[in-house]
Amino acid sequence: MSKLVFAKPSKIKKVRKLLPSLAVVAIYLALPIMGLSGFWIDVLTRVNIFLLITLSLDLYSGTTLYLNLGVPFTVGASAYAIALLNRYLGIPVEYAILPSAAISAVLSFAIFIPSLRVRGAYFSILSLLLPIILAGLVTSQPFSLYLGGEGGISYPPLFFSYARTLPARERLFFLSASYFYISAAVAIVAYVICYKVAYSDFGFMMRSIGQDELLAEASGIDTFRVKLVGFTASSFLSAVAGALYAAMRPPVTADVFIPANTLVPSLTAVILGGMGTVVGPAIANHLTLITYEVLWGVLGRWRIILYMCLLIVLVLLRPQGFVFYLYLRLKRAVSTKISRLFEGA
Amino acid sequence: MEEFKYILIFGLLHSLTYLVFSLGFSLIFGVARLPNLSYGALYVFAGYATYIFLTQLGLDFSLAVIASTLLTATTSFAVGEFTIKPAMKFPVSVFITTMAVAYIFEEFFRIQMGLRPVTLPLYSGTTTVMGVPVSNHWLLVGLVSLLMVLALLLFLFKTSIGRAVRAVAESWEESMRLGINPLKVLRVTFLLSGVYAALTGILLTPLKALTPGSGWTPLFTAFAVVVMGGIGNVLGTVIASLIYGFTEQLVTYMLGGGIARVVPLVLIVLVLVFRPHGLFGRGE
Repeated sequence: MSKLVFAKPSKIKKVRKLLPSLAVVAIYLALPIMGLSGFWIDVLTRVNIFLLITLSLDLYSGTTLYLNLGVPFTVGASAYAIALLNRYLGIPVEYAILPSAAISAVLSFAIFIPSLRVRGAYFSILSLLLPIILAGLVTSQPFSLYLGGEGGISYPPLFFSYARTLPARERLFFLSASYFYISAAVAIVAYVICYKVAYSDFGFMMRSIGQDELLAEASGIDTFRVKLVGFTASSFLSAVAGALYAAMRPPVTADVFIPANTLVPSLTAVILGGMGTVVGPAIANHLTLITYEVLWGVLGRWRIILYMCLLIVLVLLRPQGFVFYLYLRLKRAVSTKISRLFEGA
Repeated sequence: MEEFKYILIFGLLHSLTYLVFSLGFSLIFGVARLPNLSYGALYVFAGYATYIFLTQLGLDFSLAVIASTLLTATTSFAVGEFTIKPAMKFPVSVFITTMAVAYIFEEFFRIQMGLRPVTLPLYSGTTTVMGVPVSNHWLLVGLVSLLMVLALLLFLFKTSIGRAVRAVAESWEESMRLGINPLKVLRVTFLLSGVYAALTGILLTPLKALTPGSGWTPLFTAFAVVVMGGIGNVLGTVIASLIYGFTEQLVTYMLGGGIARVVPLVLIVLVLVFRPHGLFGRGE
């Protein structure tokens, strides 16, 4: 008598599915050892940190469709927290990263609770005003004395106390390589967590809010709680990004609050990548930012104009994002190739 | 008492400029329900266009003003036609497209004109109003702003096209049922908002030096004022800009100029928290 056996996806098949992406990650991580120039390692470090902001934007705004333009507020608050902890309490940046990220997440949580009542476009506008307010506070009279004003606050960067003991030639490589690996490790962990959350039950609750908030509420989802938890989680991610970046690149100035510096690249990546898909924005983040750097060599000062024109065309051609779509096609092609390879063997 | 008069006069003048600029912004915002983030760039565009007409082409001042206003209106029309209208199907993308346009203008002027501030001819001299010396240019700005506000109100409430604009702002579908073509109305608002951006740009450039990036502050002010008053609500915009202008002047007098940029924004955040659709806006 034959027993009914439910087909369970075998572990090997699961690993086999992950194989291409693992290979890509491995190649990416090997880049600094393979003799990439210091400039490009720094660029990739920055791109890795931007990935955190992109993921945080995608996790909340991509799923709930509440466009959170207040990301610079969270990023800047944690950057300033790390600088202030160092300046007034003397805590080295190595130990201040997580506390300052936590401070910034709590601060965003407290400030955004009232704004979660506001719906739709008004939420975006409200969140857009917050970083501008903070930038104004930092540079205006009584506060600028304590917050460094226009010049910002400077401090020794991450691992500098150790790097100082190294000879000058090794020092630069050590710093940029270690920054690259730290940022890459954090980015990978954040990516996996975001992917799991975005496609979990909780993620689908957030998506239901994006589709129809009233209907979601009617079907028994505590929308306020879901929004609050989702928002805080996503704020923590961008707060970590702000703290990491501040720890690696002092001084901290009011520039972090300008949307063009901390919001626009990630927003672009999220929209080009396909909102709420996590994979799309992550790829788009690397693609757009690296393209932007490559264009510098080709076009010089005209790169921003060309880049922006390209952006307008791409967004208008496929507003729902094209990177995710391309990714799916590529994945299908690669997986059929791989399965053929295994069958042949 | 002297300070009180000062705050009253300059609060009123500032409020008028904010009002004119915000009304142009709220035209598109009300009709398309989408913010045009390139509106600040149009303000800068008009200033630079006038400057170029005056210095490099040697045009007469009035001629330069007319030419640059027309040019800005055309540009505004093109921007709206190519970046706002196609983006209406997917509202989030308008944030990207119009912001990209703003950066294109900013970068273009940075390459062509450099970072050195540029200014336009000032209407010189001072007049004493209620015992407070006010520069003639500020008075001119106030007068022209007042005329522009009145003209817009007349247009919106007395002409058929203006009524159509208000109808579309009220409800896109209902207005279509009445035989109005919302897309045509939208085009009218693109042109008009270009004219308003241009005139404020030309008027205010002599008072505040013009750099490629100086369009963002007025844009955020307009954004804040329009949202505070309630999107598409003219009366709300008037009151919100009065609140904004007077608060700014009062805080400047009491606490200094730096913090005065911040306090009105904080006020707007508070208003939005307690009245999520603005002072006079209605919920959807």
